Amino acid sequence: MTDSALAMSSAPETAAATVAPKLAVRDLHFYYDGFQALKGINMDIPEKQVTAIIGPSGCGKSTLLRVFNRIYAIYPKLEAKGRILLDDEDILGPGYSLNRLRSKVGMVFQKPVPFPMTIFENVAYGIRHHEKLSKADMEKRVEQALRSAALWDEVKDKLKQNALGLSGGQQQRLCIARAIALKPEVLLLDEPTSALDPIATGRIEQLVEELKSQFTIVIVTHNMQQAARVSDLTAFMYLGELIEFDRTERIFTKPGKKQTEDYITGRFG
Amino acid sequence: MSALYLRRRITNAAAMTLSMLATLVGLAFLAWILWETLRQGIGALDLKLFTKVTAYGEDGGLLNSMVGSLIINFIGIAIATPIGVLAGTWLAEYADRTRLGESIRFLNDILLSAPSIVMGLFVYTIIVLPSTALTHGSTTFSGFAGGVALALIALPVIVRTTDEMLRLVPSTLREAALSLGVPQWKLTLQILIRAARSGIITGVLLALARISGETAPLLFTAFGNNYMALNPIDKMSSLPQIIYQYANDPGEAMHALAWAGAFVVTMFVLLLSLASRLILFRTKVSHD
Repeated sequence: MTDSALAMSSAPETAAATVAPKLAVRDLHFYYDGFQALKGINMDIPEKQVTAIIGPSGCGKSTLLRVFNRIYAIYPKLEAKGRILLDDEDILGPGYSLNRLRSKVGMVFQKPVPFPMTIFENVAYGIRHHEKLSKADMEKRVEQALRSAALWDEVKDKLKQNALGLSGGQQQRLCIARAIALKPEVLLLDEPTSALDPIATGRIEQLVEELKSQFTIVIVTHNMQQAARVSDLTAFMYLGELIEFDRTERIFTKPGKKQTEDYITGRFG
Repeated sequence: MSALYLRRRITNAAAMTLSMLATLVGLAFLAWILWETLRQGIGALDLKLFTKVTAYGEDGGLLNSMVGSLIINFIGIAIATPIGVLAGTWLAEYADRTRLGESIRFLNDILLSAPSIVMGLFVYTIIVLPSTALTHGSTTFSGFAGGVALALIALPVIVRTTDEMLRLVPSTLREAALSLGVPQWKLTLQILIRAARSGIITGVLLALARISGETAPLLFTAFGNNYMALNPIDKMSSLPQIIYQYANDPGEAMHALAWAGAFVVTMFVLLLSLASRLILFRTKVSHD
């Protein structure tokens, strides 16, 4: 209980308080070769809701997201201190395997990055690493993932074609399909629409709305309107600190902190 | 128009003229070489070139040299490709930004610019001399030794291109695969090498083009042979070596044969370069 109390101290009225959090961040510090990028972050991310992280460039929002699946660990000299509890288990602890973590926490990146293979293989690739499926089961699973990503109708006749031939928006939905094909519990989206045109962006936002019934979604975005449109909760970060974390409508209508208000009204950032 | 603007236009025009002149000088010599090879080579082209061996001298052809070149180049590429691709992969994917990796990359660059005759002498010392001693002189120079010398020249080229091509693959592709829980070795083999495939193949083709014109490393290793040799442990003729030999001959007919050989080598290298261009071009188009 003390952990929860600590997390809630900055945002006592979040709805998150009512249910056990899916992801609980506890006193998280992050260092890039000595430079401190995150300073004592505490937050409770609730299950099957969309949590948006906003803030000016360099505030640490992407860094925070990249700690959730420990993708930062592929680069030397980066270090995270503190705890992140996924269903009460510390993913930063030495006993938590990367393989297990990454099958539970999927990620979609800023730029769509399909693998240099066919559309079908792009989705099947990750599944194959974690599960042995028969050909028929695999086809079913790939179709299911592509349907969930709202891409099936556009690609069902060209599953054998190279994924690099798809448009940018389609490629990004393919990346979402690839991530959700592993049936993760948490889906991390790192500015997923910043490389897309408004129509493709709209489709992704609609998709996020649909996917939240199945996944806990954390989305980092530059775009405040996007955060307001898609998220249930919003976290505002500034200079490596979590300034405010609350229900989205509250953040955008009645923010508790002066800095948050200044940022969302466009006075800085 | 201000004086400043006028001055800039003059400077610009001068710089443009100078750089165009420099380009023209370079291209003119290239065109001259190609033209001369074409003119002299085509004149000497004859069917006997491809049917007779060099043992007949000026009445002979270059069949044994062409076959020898193919065998020696094949040995060289067959040795250098797996080692080079693996070493380049290690440099780019496992040792990038480490002190050891940087040192090896630097050493590889030195090997890249090492004089080819040094490679010939090196292989002479480590293969030709010991095999002569071991077999009491029955095996001395060999096509295999020539292939090893050429492999040493091709190796750093392949290491370098593999390394560079893999480092061109965006890091987001690595992150995307790793975030699916895929381990590093699978990522490297199944995704990165595939993404960099055309670049790596191009590197191998360029290495082949580079070694197919090498003469010096073959003089102390494959040596030469006036008859057809198919077994790599025998002395073997090669096109660059026979060009060198015939060009030094006082006879006009021998010079013609040398030109014909030069023409064949040039065409081979030209086709290889075109092929590698084509591979790179095709992938670029399909990526956009």
